[in-house]
Amino acid sequence: MSQDVPRTLKTAGVDVGSSSVKVALMVDTEGERAQLVSGQSERIGRRDPIQVAEGLYQDCLQEAGWTREDVSYVATTGEGDMLEWHTGHFYGMTTHARGGLYLDPEARAIVDIGALHTRAVVMDESAKVLGYRMTSQCASGSGQFLENICRYLGITIDEIGPLSLQSDDPERCSSVCAVLAETDVINMVSRGISAPNIIRGIHQSMSGRYLRLLASAKARGVVLVTGGLSRDVGIMRSLQESADEQKTPIQLRSHPQSVLAGALGAALWGAFRVRKLATQGVSLSLKTAV
Amino acid sequence: MTTERIDEVVQRAEQLFRDLEFRSVRKWKDETGGLAVGYMPIYIPTELLHAQGVLAVGILGGGDELEIIRGDAYYQSYICHIPRSTIELGLNGALDCLDGMLFPAICDVIRNLSGMWKMQFPDKLVRYLDVPQDFDPEIGGRFWRFELEELARELTARGARPYDAEALRESITLHNRNRAIVRELYALRQREPWKVPTHELYLIQRAGLVIPPEEFEQVLVEYRDAVRADQVRTPKDQARVLLTGSFCEQPPFGLIKTLERSGCYIVDDDFVQVHRWIVRDVETTGDPLQNLVMAFLEDSIESPTRYIAERAKGQDLVDRVAASGAEGVLFCAPSFCDPALLDQPMAVAAIEKAGIPWTAFKYAENNGQFQVIREQAGTFSDSIKLWSGEVAV
Repeated sequence: MSQDVPRTLKTAGVDVGSSSVKVALMVDTEGERAQLVSGQSERIGRRDPIQVAEGLYQDCLQEAGWTREDVSYVATTGEGDMLEWHTGHFYGMTTHARGGLYLDPEARAIVDIGALHTRAVVMDESAKVLGYRMTSQCASGSGQFLENICRYLGITIDEIGPLSLQSDDPERCSSVCAVLAETDVINMVSRGISAPNIIRGIHQSMSGRYLRLLASAKARGVVLVTGGLSRDVGIMRSLQESADEQKTPIQLRSHPQSVLAGALGAALWGAFRVRKLATQGVSLSLKTAV
Repeated sequence: MTTERIDEVVQRAEQLFRDLEFRSVRKWKDETGGLAVGYMPIYIPTELLHAQGVLAVGILGGGDELEIIRGDAYYQSYICHIPRSTIELGLNGALDCLDGMLFPAICDVIRNLSGMWKMQFPDKLVRYLDVPQDFDPEIGGRFWRFELEELARELTARGARPYDAEALRESITLHNRNRAIVRELYALRQREPWKVPTHELYLIQRAGLVIPPEEFEQVLVEYRDAVRADQVRTPKDQARVLLTGSFCEQPPFGLIKTLERSGCYIVDDDFVQVHRWIVRDVETTGDPLQNLVMAFLEDSIESPTRYIAERAKGQDLVDRVAASGAEGVLFCAPSFCDPALLDQPMAVAAIEKAGIPWTAFKYAENNGQFQVIREQAGTFSDSIKLWSGEVAV
């Protein structure tokens, strides 16, 4: 027994990461490409992530001119399962795969570079996850590591990409351990190496890790970079150069909204679930009317 | 708006669950002067002990808050965790309040533990309770009755009231009521899993291991009435899963919560089976001891610790999946648990044949990190929600 579902659904995706919260509000009309109505990201800092998520969700609703009751499905990802008001929760690799495919329909893999972890996810043309690999406990492939480096160099995270592009003689850096790499950086600073060359060396080191991750996940074709570091033009340049040098069978891409990939994917899966549940005649008291 | 009522009863249950000093047992002994006898998982006829004025105390290991200092010296590294923590509890004095320990037949390790207990605590009642694996009343039935009569005599010799048929009949009636409420809660959880979170149901059942059955009945009634009346809890879009393999050494409490947080509604499980081992009311007319015997022979749940003569191994699991409306199975067994892990391939074969998705992981009762299991259970839940039945996007 199936239930009637409106052709157009309003859904929300909330991605609670370890350093920032991302929210995406989407209008999903059956048979058409879903539209992003509001998408925002906010750093958590030392605040309570639940409160940050709550506030950002309200801001997005306001921007879209929606009320909470308009939303058919609030899908969370990351640590978003802490939010009591979510309808369903999806895992990071599932949502980033879906969000990546939405942002770049040619993508068949994503590399999600977050604050604490990096993961490579290989998917098919329907966003079904075919395999994944994740960095282990080591932080040297993460955004948090890069933020620490910024602190040592006295620059902001937004400056790191453009500075990296100014490099003329990148300084090689330990690619194995965040602790050793940080020591390397302190030594480089005392040896008078310029910030652009230090940063470029770090970017190259991190790129090597990401490419190994993608290779072990057997990524092919277009790979979309998602997560917070997708905005870093330095890491993007470094990644592509390393991939070209190694003749890796991948084409790296980014998207202006790559940072929202998890939230976008969650919102899209939310709409999918509303429809799937309806066809199964399952009632979850989900609001299905626009 | 009754979440406060639920919180109240669950908090009380959690205090009992976390009390590794067994203060409730000590208090009961101070007040009544009665005997308290511990028992290991998974089933003993608690009715008999209760009828003789004995407090039956379920000892399901030390959980994740007990530091093992001496327990590891007794067992090799390839043995599960529950005997280490149990012997630690014995050696650190936490179980001094018990006048004895019963070790139902589960596996070689528990049999071995009963031997250690005899050596370590020679003044206490220690009994390995051998259960029949032949379910013919004339063979297994006679054997089990003899075991129970022996147990009753041993308890009396330790100061318990002598066996009395009427007292047993009353005890069976009380235990029937408790089992019925537990069944009711399991049924409610199957229908509306958001109303009866598994971590709460687990705590309620754990509380029932360390308090008298009369008090357990009150806890059950309070919890059942509170969750029935609750209007606050609303459904989430989660995958319905059946969890199996955790009948002896219990998973850390955090693991149960982690599985729920990872997007799974656990709609059937095999935690704390003593309250559900007998699947229907035990007959109260006629010879009550024989009724207990027949209930064990004919109305016990299927378990890896119990011989299955007629049906294929795993068929029960397939039936339970259908009955509970589960969409997948989590094989969640303790590391090195022979009964659970030796049965698992047969169970997997049966559910694969039935087209039921599954995933498997292992734990020890003192695990503190669940990130990997969280990812695994979460992606399993995603795969059920997104990919079962039809193609997405």
